[in-house]
Amino acid sequence: MHEMSIAEDLMRQLEELAIENAIARVESVTVRAGVLAGIVPEALDMAFACLAEGTVAEGAELHLEIEPALAECRRCGHRFEPEIDAYLCERCGVADVTILQGRDIILSSVSCEQRGNGDDEDQRGP
Amino acid sequence: MTKISVVRSVLKANDAVAEVNRKRLEAAGILVLNITSAPGSGKTALLERTIPALAPGLRSAVVVGDLQTTRDAERLGGLAVEVAQINTEGGCHLQATQVADALDTLALKDLDLLFIENVGNMVCPASYDLGEHLRVVLLSVPEGPDKVAKYPTIFQPADVILINKMDLAGLLEFSDEIVRADLARINTRAPLFKVSARTGEGLEAWYDWLRVQHRARFGS
Repeated sequence: MHEMSIAEDLMRQLEELAIENAIARVESVTVRAGVLAGIVPEALDMAFACLAEGTVAEGAELHLEIEPALAECRRCGHRFEPEIDAYLCERCGVADVTILQGRDIILSSVSCEQRGNGDDEDQRGP
Repeated sequence: MTKISVVRSVLKANDAVAEVNRKRLEAAGILVLNITSAPGSGKTALLERTIPALAPGLRSAVVVGDLQTTRDAERLGGLAVEVAQINTEGGCHLQATQVADALDTLALKDLDLLFIENVGNMVCPASYDLGEHLRVVLLSVPEGPDKVAKYPTIFQPADVILINKMDLAGLLEFSDEIVRADLARINTRAPLFKVSARTGEGLEAWYDWLRVQHRARFGS
């Protein structure tokens, strides 16, 4: 259950982004996570919904895209897509890899309403 | 509605602090080991044996993480080594910032090794770099031989693997064949040591490995 701390980090990133881009309300958030990051989608959804309450992201939808892993054999340099429980290099027969991709969790896009677009209550005149 | 595309690593805050920890400890000539296992595999018992056996040649300190209690710190405190206890209060893993705070409480100049005893958990600690040089993963005989197959993400990046409580192997009819077969497709790099932290069986190989790792990184 490390989804709660992932959601905390995600909210921190969203709050930074909201300030930089004058975001008034977040409609949806897309997160790309590697298959080896060990995220349970339902748990992340729930943690995100809880933490988003009372922020610009309250009620926002979370889209989670799972990406495949990429491994590089430390012995021969061969690159291949490992299974979560199989890291054997087909070229040299050892399971000794560096994971190049598949552990990352990336905030990749945010759909939102920005202040100053004319569709915002902050635009009301005096 | 606007769509903003970004590429921001969600764990970058943790990873950045981990890198600071690593640099700080490296500058002090300290080899850092992140020890993970299920609860009750014998992480603390292993350290109770290991730390006195390596002294005075290698001087150790421990950062220990648990959800609650200072019991592990009290056990290790009996060894007259510095111990920093972190209570995660429900958190299932240690994070780099918690380790950074713990480092402030330790006299780093008098150390050669820092053992970080992670929260007993074989899932979440895999995702969090703490600033370690090496990852130690422990399993124990009563847990059965299927741990590697069931928790591949913790065993794949392991630099060394120990099977603890080998003194119970006969009683529990434990064979390491399945462990070895599973490691053959998950991690063939990490040496596998069969030990008993209770009797001391097999621990010399582990001590030698630690000495070699320290020498390889920091000389003498």
